[in-house]
Parts: sequence; structure tokens; C-alpha cells
Amino acid sequence: MLELRGITRRFRIGPTERTVLHGIDLDLAAGELVSIMGGSGSGKTTFMNILGLLDRPSTGTYCIRGEDVLAAKADAQSLMRNRMIGFVFQQFFLMPRLNAWRNVALPLMYRGTPEAEARRRSEAMLQRVGLGQHLSHMPNMLSGGQKQRVAIARALVTEPALILADEPTGALDPTVSREIMGLFEEMNRELGVLVVIITHDPGVAARCRRRLTLVQGRLLEEDDLAKARAA
Amino acid sequence: MIRQTLIEAAGNLLAVWQRSLLALIGIVVGAGAVIAMLHAGAMAREETIRQFRQMGTDTMVLRADSNTGMGNFRLGDIEATPEAVPLIREIAPFMIGGGTIISEGRSRNAGFLGVTAEFAQVARLPMAEGRFLSPFDRFELLVVVGHDLAQQLSSPFAPLRVGSQIRISRYVFTVAGILEPAMMNPMLPVDVNTTLFLSLPNARRVIALPSLSMAVARLQPDADPELASQMLQQHLGPGLRDARLNVLTARQLIAGMNSQVQLVAMLLGAVGSIALVLGGVGVMNIMLMSVAERRREIGIRLAIGARRRDVRRLFLAEALILSLLGAALGVGLGFLGGIGFAWMSGWQVSFSPIAAPLGAGVSIAVGVFFGFYPAVMAARLDPIEALRAE
Repeated sequence: MLELRGITRRFRIGPTERTVLHGIDLDLAAGELVSIMGGSGSGKTTFMNILGLLDRPSTGTYCIRGEDVLAAKADAQSLMRNRMIGFVFQQFFLMPRLNAWRNVALPLMYRGTPEAEARRRSEAMLQRVGLGQHLSHMPNMLSGGQKQRVAIARALVTEPALILADEPTGALDPTVSREIMGLFEEMNRELGVLVVIITHDPGVAARCRRRLTLVQGRLLEEDDLAKARAA
Repeated sequence: MIRQTLIEAAGNLLAVWQRSLLALIGIVVGAGAVIAMLHAGAMAREETIRQFRQMGTDTMVLRADSNTGMGNFRLGDIEATPEAVPLIREIAPFMIGGGTIISEGRSRNAGFLGVTAEFAQVARLPMAEGRFLSPFDRFELLVVVGHDLAQQLSSPFAPLRVGSQIRISRYVFTVAGILEPAMMNPMLPVDVNTTLFLSLPNARRVIALPSLSMAVARLQPDADPELASQMLQQHLGPGLRDARLNVLTARQLIAGMNSQVQLVAMLLGAVGSIALVLGGVGVMNIMLMSVAERRREIGIRLAIGARRRDVRRLFLAEALILSLLGAALGVGLGFLGGIGFAWMSGWQVSFSPIAAPLGAGVSIAVGVFFGFYPAVMAARLDPIEALRAE
């Protein structure tokens, strides 16, 4: 489903060039629940930006559903993000002046879906994430966990190939964190959507079936990591 | 999508309503000034046409100027003019003065006009009451009173009317007639409404330095005013000794007034344009601030699949809402300004049909023009940078 080959990313800071990602190869299949861990400076954010089509690698290829997503220009890439990727952020990033269903409907609106249908689908998705009672509430009337549920509904409503969650539980207390992880697992299981969670919380990573770690710009599977540690 | 964009844009403007209000005021004042200017211009044109009709295009005013002040016409020359210059239909000389008048124990200052019997007809002054001066009673102590002056001299218990007495220095005059209210005639050096009319011999008695230096004349229908004034020079010039004859035609005066009105309209237009540009800068200012403050929001929108043009459209919608609202309020302000202008200048209220659409159109265009740059700035943001913004 997702296929990354030889992804490197170099940043030029003045005269010096710094390589942040060193030739990453990664295959992700539909229905996987994957965590990516990594300390600061490991290239986690850079990798997430590339995975989310917000940044372009210096070299390498990236295909989603067999489509080369690096060939597209900025506006076409926006459409690809719209079609293929759902973002979930640590700080939820809801539009403060739109109510719950309008927040969820936003990506559909950008896609040109008629408002009536966008509303129907958004409300259905909000029901699914357990917010059937809060369809028209404004974000400031919702709790942190509820906000994150709205954000997850917004990510799922476009039926994307990939949900990319950046520290989705970082701003939540442990109980709500567990609920949100439960929701990710449920959506992953029931909708068969590929979920990639970027986290530094081992508890969150532990609930993912596949665990990856970025170490100094190289991506290691959990087994590799164990071997590396053992060596 | 457009509805959603407008809802969002309106919500964003309301969220920073003080700032939106400031930008709005700029646009409103700009649009209002432009529209008021157009109304004022239309009213000025209307007014000129009305005055034109009132005094007629066939009016001329003759003035004898000398190096030491005012010259003197010879009454005989003036009276012989319609025969000597066939292009002139009628002519009435007059002398100007002023002084204190006392009526019913109240004194006030008034302008005096020493005239012949023809003056009322030549200057088109209809009577409200009584009659005008006649050639037969020019040595009698009779006066004719302008409408406003008559009212000023009246009290509720003793209205001024025909037969009332008015004292001027040592003479007691009797009111022979009162004029109807007359429109301000820009050809005449006085406002006839506040003037006291006397016969020439009487005027020489009460005016300190009497000089028969002016005359008002009417042309024959279709006569050429240029030719007439040349012929007047030939006829009256020799009798003036060291004075010069100055002929002012209604056409010249109207041309002069028109250019003045145009100057005022242009000044107003310049003020309006500056206000409008300032309003536009105001819009740009709040839009740029809004873009800077909402970088993260823009980043989120780009991340969830907004194209650059979607972001641009959102900010343009805000500029558009501001300019539409500003234009609508500006139209109202412009009409009020027009009414105020008419009130101050004493003109009749009339509105230019193009003012509202033109003024509103220009202000909307300005608002959107100045909103364009911030909108493009917003659309060009890098999503990664924008998402990282606080």
C-alpha cells in the first residue's frame, strides 16, 4: 500500500549540509497498526512530514496505492493529502470557530463534496467515534479526549489510505489516552485503515502490532533494534 | 463550499470584531466620501441649470469701472440704449448702497438699490404685495422691500405691509410694495431678498457716495452676446470718460461657476480617493495580521487537503465581506453626506443615479485589491512552517 525506497533528506544550513534521513526503505500494508518511536534529533518529525506529503525527500521514491506521490506539484499534492492521508495532531488542531461536524466535514468540503452529503458523512463518522451527542458543539465546549475524537473523525471521514498520528495522546491524561488508543485500534480493525502513530510513549507503542524506531536517521524494526542492543 | 467559506470568513471577522470594525470604518468613510462627492457634483450641476433657467441666458450685467473706483453711466445714454443697440431688448441701471433703516422703532442695516421702474421687469422680480416703483413717482418717498427684509422688519403684532413707514436718515419712506421671495441671482451684486429698492433720485439722497455704475440688461431672443457687448462698448464707452465698460454675460458666469463646481468636485473626489486608499490599506493591515496570527490554522488546512487557492479564497472572502459591508454602509453615509452638503449650501437635494453603484463598486474593488496580497501571502505559506507556528 505504502512503499518508500531509499528516502534521504538533507538540509542545507549555510555552507554545511546535514543529512537527517539515511536511505529509508519501508513497506506498509493496509490494516497495519504501526508505531514509530525515536528520540529528539532522530529525524522523526522530518520522516513524518515526508510520510504525510508535507515535505519532499532529497532522494528516493514514495508510492501510495501504486501511485507516485512525489511527482505532483503543490496543489495536486494537497489533493493527494486530502484523498490519501488523515492527520491527527497532538494539539488536536480543530478549527475553533467551526462546530464539530463542520470540522469533520472540512476535508470533504475541500474535496468539493456537496454540503448535505458532507454533513451526513461527518455526522455518521462522529457517531462512530462516540460523539453522536455533540454533533453541533463548538470545540471549546469539548474535553481534550472529545476534541481528539473529533480530530480522528476528521482524519477518517475521507477514507484515507493512511492515518498519520503525531503524538495523538501527548496532551491527554492516561485514562483518556487509553481510550483514544482503543479508538485507534477499533478503527484500524473495523475499517482496515493503516494507522501510523508517532510517539515517544512506550505504553502507546506497546499497543501497536508493528513497532519501528528511528535511530540517527535510520529506521529499525523492533527485532533489529533488539539485535542492535544485544550486539 | 462557497457558503462554508463565507460562514468561516464571517466567523473569523467577528472573532476579531474590533479590528474588523476599524478596517470597516476606513472603507465606509472612503466609499461615503466618494458617493457624497458624486451627489454633490450632481447637485451642483442641477443648481447651475436651475439658476440658468431663473436668470435666463439672455441676462447681461454692465459695470463702469474706473481706476479710482466706480464710474458713472449717463442716465440718458442708458435709456437710449435699446434704440442705439437693437440687440438689447431692455436695460435698467442701478446704484448700490446701504445704511440703517428704522421701522416701528427698530433699526437694522440693509442694502439699498437705487433703480428705475424697469428694474423689476429686467431682473424678473415678481411682487407679493403692492406695486414696484413707477416713472411717475420717482420723486415721492416710496420704497419696495425684499421678501426677507420685510419679514425681518415685521413683528407678530405689526407686520410690515404696503403703507408702512420706514425711516432712512432724515427721510420717512412709505412702503409701496413687497417682493416675492426670489432665488439668489449670481449676476446681481446683491441679494434682492434683503434689499430695499428706491428710485434713483431718492437713492442719491440716502446713499453716501452715489454712483450710477451698474446696469442689468436683457438681450433680444437669439442675439449674440459677444456682438451685443461690442456694440454696447461703442455706444456707452464714449460717455464714460475715464471709466471702462465691463460686460458680464450669463454664459460667462455660468462657465465660471461650472469650473468652480468642477474644482470642488475634484477636490472632494481626491479626498474620497485618499480615504478609500486608506480604507484599503486598513483592510490589508488587518488581513496581514490575521494571516500572521492564523499561520497554524492555515497549516492545518493545507495538511487536510486545502489547495492554495482554497486558502486564498478564504482570505479573499474576508476582504470581500469587509468591502461589501463597507460599501453598503458607505452608500448610506454618502447619501447622508449629500443631504448635509445640500443643507449647508442651501441647494435642493437631488441624487446622482450613478453615485451609489460607482462608489460601491470602486470601494469593493479597492477592498478586494488590497485583500489580494495578504491572501496570496497566506496561500504561499509552507505547511510545515505554518503547522509549527504558535
